[in-house]
Amino acid sequence: MERFFFHLRNGMGWVRDEEGCELPDLAAARVCAIGSIRSLLKDEIDAGRIDLRGRIDITDEGGRLLGVVPFHSAVELVLEDGEP
Amino acid sequence: MIERHLAKLRARDEIDADEEAAIRGAISECRDLPADHTFIRAGEELRASTLLLDGLICRYKDLSDGQRQITELHVPGDFADLHSFTLKRLDHNIMTLTPSRVALVPHENLTAITERYPHLTRVFWFLTNLDAAIHREWVLSLGRRSAVARMAHLFCELFERLRIVGLTVGPAYSLGLTQEELAECLGITSVHANRTLQELRSRGLIEFRAGRATLLDVEGLQAVAEFDPGYLYLERRPQ
Repeated sequence: MERFFFHLRNGMGWVRDEEGCELPDLAAARVCAIGSIRSLLKDEIDAGRIDLRGRIDITDEGGRLLGVVPFHSAVELVLEDGEP
Repeated sequence: MIERHLAKLRARDEIDADEEAAIRGAISECRDLPADHTFIRAGEELRASTLLLDGLICRYKDLSDGQRQITELHVPGDFADLHSFTLKRLDHNIMTLTPSRVALVPHENLTAITERYPHLTRVFWFLTNLDAAIHREWVLSLGRRSAVARMAHLFCELFERLRIVGLTVGPAYSLGLTQEELAECLGITSVHANRTLQELRSRGLIEFRAGRATLLDVEGLQAVAEFDPGYLYLERRPQ
């Protein structure tokens, strides 16, 4: 298990993660980041406005950037009309 | 040793010296438990109820994919599972969140209390009803409050519950919860909990760092949470 940190940047600014989470690997950390983005977007849906311009930066304990997960990669948007 | 428990009871009712002695006498042993230790698992047969003397513990349920929902936090003075006296097995797990000291009260000793101390029995019945009231408030939070209001509400609740057992200092209290555990109380993720904390802080309502919560603006926080302490039955009403 390694400790990953999830720093959030979106319309509300920069939220630094000082605690992190113990996870098996970077793939698990990406899954965690996507779940977090979806959790945040649920709140935005309730408020009626979704801002997909944010991102989560995944770093290790020393602050080294391991991955970037953009908000728009966490959801699939279907906007055009057509047969479902 | 059971001073927090007595403070919790005496905030609501008169507990005389005989009843106090009966509670003390019902304890068979005390144990020190490490943090993050599930010491009661759903389904196991129980012969004693656990009274929290010091520390922080929670009831939780989980799904097969590992998602966990904390359904109630227990502060010193609370029984974690007085309901196991009648249920004998639980439908949820109980875990320490910080190193904790607990007292075990064997069910046979609780049976003896119900036979000899009718008033104390009613007071213990009140305690399980109080847990049910807290659960209802959490259902309202999880189902209907926004994440910000839900978090504000939890900090308001813990302030009141810790205050009556003498564990607040002015507007502050110790709370050994990680961001992840806080998220598991609120049905959100750790990142979401962090963002929500930042929002409450930027609005000047609460500061939570290094295991310490400080209510910067109690009235403002209560307003955001729509917090009404009525469900905690803090008034004295002899049973």
